[in-house]
Amino acid sequence: MTVIHPNMADESAKIRARDVCVYYGEKKAIDEVSIDISPNYVTAFIGPSGCGKSTFLRCFNRMNDTISAAKVTGLIELDGEDIHGSRMDVVQLRARVGMVFQKPNPFPKSIYENIAYGPRIHGLAEKKADLDVIVERSLTRAGLWDEVKDRLDDSGTALSGGQQQRLCIARAIAVDPEVILMDEPASALDPIATAKIEELIDELSGRYAIVIVTHSMQQAARVSQRTAFFHLGKMVEYGPTSEIFTNPIEERTKDYITGRYG
Amino acid sequence: MSPITLILIALGLGLVGWLAGRAKAWGFQSSDAAERPASRPIYHAWYVALWVVLPVLAFVAAWSVIAPNLVMQTVLASPEAQNLSGFGFERDAFLGEARAVALGQAPGVFNNEAEPLIAPFREAFARYNTIGIIVTVLIALVGGAFAFLRLAPQFGARTRVERTVLTILLLASLVAILTTLGIFASLVFETVRFFGMVSPIDFLFGTMWGPDTMGSPDAVDPSRYGAVPLFWGTIFIGAIIAMVVAIPLGLMSAIYLTQYADPRVRAWIKPLLELLAGVPTVVYGYFAALTLAPMIRNAAVALGATNASTESALAAGIVMGVMIIPFVSSMADDSMAAVPGAMRDGSLAMGATKSETIRRVLFPAALPGIVAGIMLAVSRAIGETMIVVMAASQAANLTANPLEPISTVTVQIVNLLTGEQSTDHPATLSAYALGFVLFMVTLGLNFIALRVVKRFREAYE
Repeated sequence: MTVIHPNMADESAKIRARDVCVYYGEKKAIDEVSIDISPNYVTAFIGPSGCGKSTFLRCFNRMNDTISAAKVTGLIELDGEDIHGSRMDVVQLRARVGMVFQKPNPFPKSIYENIAYGPRIHGLAEKKADLDVIVERSLTRAGLWDEVKDRLDDSGTALSGGQQQRLCIARAIAVDPEVILMDEPASALDPIATAKIEELIDELSGRYAIVIVTHSMQQAARVSQRTAFFHLGKMVEYGPTSEIFTNPIEERTKDYITGRYG
Repeated sequence: MSPITLILIALGLGLVGWLAGRAKAWGFQSSDAAERPASRPIYHAWYVALWVVLPVLAFVAAWSVIAPNLVMQTVLASPEAQNLSGFGFERDAFLGEARAVALGQAPGVFNNEAEPLIAPFREAFARYNTIGIIVTVLIALVGGAFAFLRLAPQFGARTRVERTVLTILLLASLVAILTTLGIFASLVFETVRFFGMVSPIDFLFGTMWGPDTMGSPDAVDPSRYGAVPLFWGTIFIGAIIAMVVAIPLGLMSAIYLTQYADPRVRAWIKPLLELLAGVPTVVYGYFAALTLAPMIRNAAVALGATNASTESALAAGIVMGVMIIPFVSSMADDSMAAVPGAMRDGSLAMGATKSETIRRVLFPAALPGIVAGIMLAVSRAIGETMIVVMAASQAANLTANPLEPISTVTVQIVNLLTGEQSTDHPATLSAYALGFVLFMVTLGLNFIALRVVKRFREAYE
């Protein structure tokens, strides 16, 4: 049974999920999860390893489609439009819902080409000058411009881990998405790089709806305004971050928050 | 008596030594932890067995060389041999016949003169066989006894056995390396001899190839040893026509198999494709010579190219390309599979389609590995012999027309070294020079390709 705090139903929800189940072959990885993601907040998914939080996140841009054994049921709407519907093209969906992965995965191309990749495939820039503008804007928003503006032709893989992850965020921003999904974006980074990513999430919130999966409760508390706690494929509790961390309703949430397990 | 018998005796005694060593080592077992033996009984057993078998093997190797000579000397010293008539070839033939009969390899003698020699041969064989067996058993016993007496609770049998095994493994790996060095040395030696008769400049840059195998070795005409037409033919068939066929087909099949094919389809097609690599090249050769070449000629003639040859470069090149497809395909397959899945996910998550992801991310990332695969394929194609021997021409033409006959380095080597050639004729020696050039080129290509692959692997690990 899911506990949802009062006032969490959102008329203007960016993403609305109803009774979503995900199966990996026979195994049920996500069990009837319903949630409204607000456009104005950073939403964090927390929970112990293997609880299904990443799997659920990957439903929002249909990345589970790339795993042939995975099957998704239930309703997921982006701005009221069914993302599995016949009118929704997965290419368009992923342009609107960007994603940043756990391990930085820049393409083995130059920094410039990494950012230009999305705008090129979606035809967002007519001329080289337009592309230059997008690259600069994206890198600036990702807080990377000053560090790389003199070496845009260097390989993206030559950057440090933290810079690579910000490059990946810039790459996602470049196609002007409405939602950015982040799957443990700082778990492979050192504390300083992590702090920069968290700062960046803070700056980006408001402009984009951000959903972040994290195994660090401190991180969830620092960066998010909404938190959902997952356990064994079910969403246990969903509410304002401050409430979840100081005054959880469910016993299991309380146990996890206080470090009794997980 | 064949060395096999001696080896079997050695192995039998080795087994006895093994059992004896183990039996003795069992006695070392102690319940007191401080006195626990240094090695387990099995190592003591192997230690004894190795001391029995290895010295015997060394003896057998030497004996199988020495014994026949000893037999021959004994026979020649016998009174029957004193009366032997004939000389040179004839004499050797008599001896050989008598020997074969004595060994039971032939039913009877052809020349009567050989008849009296059979008995001395039999005697000599019997004597040296007995000596061989006695020495074998003696060596085995001495070796075994030495090892057996050394066994003691604190004796480090395990380290000694392991060191011996290590040495055997090392020797095994050295065989291949030494063979390569030997091949290289013989090539260099003969090539230097050839370059003593024809200057390397004439050989490497001359444009007329037509060694006169009948001409006098003393009056060499260097202008007939210009290998450029052969180098060109080799490159044209192996590196151009074959690659034009193999690269697109190989890459497309790799892309289909790694990215699009249903796992069940892949499970069928991939082994079938790799089966192509197992077809004997001579089979490809007659497919090229008997099926494809006439088709190409007929098609060319129908299109108005009346000078089209049945030994066209095109037929050999196309078939060679088909042969190479599995190499290109499987290297490309491996390289694309080595690109981290995160890269593919990153591109898909940007909204790229599958084909955009392949073209813009996977393929460029896998490119170094693919290039290395192509280089290995080229090196294989230019060293390939059977297809071109059967389908390409003997005539060394310097032409870029794929319908004309053209010859390759390997074809000429086969021509120059088959048949009854004098070993010190420049025409024969030129085959070694050709082989040397080919060897250096393929070695270089393999070396570069392996370096590229290695660096590529490191980049993603």
